[in-house]
Amino acid sequence: MEMLLSATISGLLMGMLFALVALGLAIIFGVMNIVNFAHGEFLMVGMYAAFLTATGLSIEPLLTLPVSVTICFILGIGSYYLLVRYLLRGPMLAQLLGTFGLMIFIRYLAMAIFGPDYKTLEYGLLIGKSIKWGPVVLSYSKLGTAVISVMAFGVIYWMMNRTRLGMALKATALDVEAAGYMGINTEKMRGLAWGLGGATVGIAGALLTNFYYVFPTVGMLFVMIAFATVALGGFGSIKGAFIAGLIMGLIIDIGGTYVGPQFKFALIYLTFFLVIIFRPQGLFGW
Amino acid sequence: MGAKKKISRREFLKTTGSLAIGSAAFSMGLGVARAQPAEVKIGVIYPLSGPVAHAGKMSKDAVDLCVDYVNNKWPDLPIPIGQWEGIPGLNGAKIKLIHADHRGEPDRGADLAKKLILDEKVAGICGCYHSSVTKTVSTVCERYKIPMINPESTSPDLTKRGYKWFFRATPHDRIFLRDFFEFLGLLHEGKVPGVGAIPKSELSKIGACTENTEWGAGTREVIQEFAKKFGYEIVSDVTYPHESPDLTAEVRNLLAPKPDILMFASYISDAILLTKTMKEFKANAKIFWSQDVGFYQPKFIETFGQEIDGIMNRTVFSKKLFGVKPVAASINEEFKKRSGVDFMGTSARAFTGMQAWAYVLNKAGSTDPEAIRQAAEAIEIPGKELIVPWKGINFEVEGGETNQNTWSSGLIVQYQNQEPEIIYPVDVATAKFLYPWPGLK
Repeated sequence: MEMLLSATISGLLMGMLFALVALGLAIIFGVMNIVNFAHGEFLMVGMYAAFLTATGLSIEPLLTLPVSVTICFILGIGSYYLLVRYLLRGPMLAQLLGTFGLMIFIRYLAMAIFGPDYKTLEYGLLIGKSIKWGPVVLSYSKLGTAVISVMAFGVIYWMMNRTRLGMALKATALDVEAAGYMGINTEKMRGLAWGLGGATVGIAGALLTNFYYVFPTVGMLFVMIAFATVALGGFGSIKGAFIAGLIMGLIIDIGGTYVGPQFKFALIYLTFFLVIIFRPQGLFGW
Repeated sequence: MGAKKKISRREFLKTTGSLAIGSAAFSMGLGVARAQPAEVKIGVIYPLSGPVAHAGKMSKDAVDLCVDYVNNKWPDLPIPIGQWEGIPGLNGAKIKLIHADHRGEPDRGADLAKKLILDEKVAGICGCYHSSVTKTVSTVCERYKIPMINPESTSPDLTKRGYKWFFRATPHDRIFLRDFFEFLGLLHEGKVPGVGAIPKSELSKIGACTENTEWGAGTREVIQEFAKKFGYEIVSDVTYPHESPDLTAEVRNLLAPKPDILMFASYISDAILLTKTMKEFKANAKIFWSQDVGFYQPKFIETFGQEIDGIMNRTVFSKKLFGVKPVAASINEEFKKRSGVDFMGTSARAFTGMQAWAYVLNKAGSTDPEAIRQAAEAIEIPGKELIVPWKGINFEVEGGETNQNTWSSGLIVQYQNQEPEIIYPVDVATAKFLYPWPGLK
């Protein structure tokens, strides 16, 4: 029972990180029906931004959050205006290969600039600290990540449902032509969706740097889970991304503890296949 | 205008004969030059990107240094390669390394090996760090009949396949694990300096945690075999996917049955994540032992600082050897100047592997693959010319293994004040054994 409690708590904490990584994917897909294969590389850029700012200025890693968010927001908007909007004129395959190309470009640019070596933060308010009650372990850095993840979801959810900007984004997502007729600058909304997608994954990157190492291909490890998360929650659904992230965390931790660690990723993709078969639109998709 | 001179038959035969002999001699000369070229290409395949790139880079630095010693004169170097200026047996031909990055991917390693053999026409291959990549690369070499010398991959299976073209310089995991279980035996008998006899009842439960590629799987198998043979109980046996985004479930399962002895086989990225996660769990046991690699790298020491004290590693190299091996001290000084870090187990073996390549080429006196293979089979490099504390290098077919260096041996070191002190073999121990492991707080 204690093991189950421990696995549930750490699964929920990791799940909130997975949800945060998936949030940006969900926003971009929701507004534009396009899968951003470079999302993992956005995460990597966020991690490097946090790491380099923290070590370069010798400041508390949590204070680097605004830097990562800003850089990833600019990266998202830049990607849209310099590449994605041109891809939209081509067939679906061009869109897929285009963001795939963006992924390779950013990854190898990072490799050229930072080298292949990985880097870790060795100091910080939350780093390396935890509370232990019997088998239940509460890591400060993961707890901090979970709290900020919930806050980020809250802000995005509020913005989407309670502000004119959010309404405009949703209108663009529902029918881009009709939204245009209503006076919404849909081009700007699409760019904003990419910016928000980048900013949210930038938050995840800055937080992840507190307990994970940074290297040019780090994004790949997390984005594979993010794709499965978005598919489970429903492409484009923010609520879905959150719930599915938690489910993924629980599958990894409880499945890893009781079925065996070697099966945890198999369990994730088994869930993914079941969703595709029985509910292709995902738990909260349209 | 003078009279036209008539050429006699004798003169005609003399002239044409001389020309024929001359051109034949010239062709032979060219032939000799072809057999002993100005340079010999060796393909070097390491992980130069991805999470294990740091180890790959250190290995690359080590083989580059060795080739620099071979190709140029280093009068102060106290071993023969410093005086060579190229391979003497190949008329001073220089070694040219062609580096390739396998990124830790076995399929990519095999493709690179094929490309190096067919396009670059390398005389042989060196690498590849990951046992899983060494396995696929050596299969390509076997197919194309090109010699491969592996400096550092330790999965026991690699030399059990009967391959004629694959040679391994390092001791393998069976040898390292046997050393560790023998060390435990000495602990029970009270023969380890710094600690009294520890009854087996106090030190009998093993928790094993291994990554799930060729190397980790091989280690896991040997741990199970030796635990049974020497009478230990495996209370947790965790395998995990290399480069996992989270290892919390693994650590929970590993620590839950409260093992006395923790045993690991992890690459550096996983070693860092495992240690960070174990720190969250405030992990404790009496002994923490690992199969070198991830837990025995400058990056690991740099990341955890004094928290690593008490962790044991199997290895083949320690700075503490410098007192008894001045050649290691002198080469380490140059290595540190170039790469910024001291030699450790992986880089020291990479250097030694390339040194073996130089000796083999010298003995072969040719770049013909069969001649190189025969030279490798016959080579005997004395330990005094190596930086690692082995009897030497001698590839033999013995005990079901083919072309394993039977003159190699291992050490067990323990971090004390962040320095790897030798604690086994006990007759060369440089410090008293720190027991029990202080744990992670």
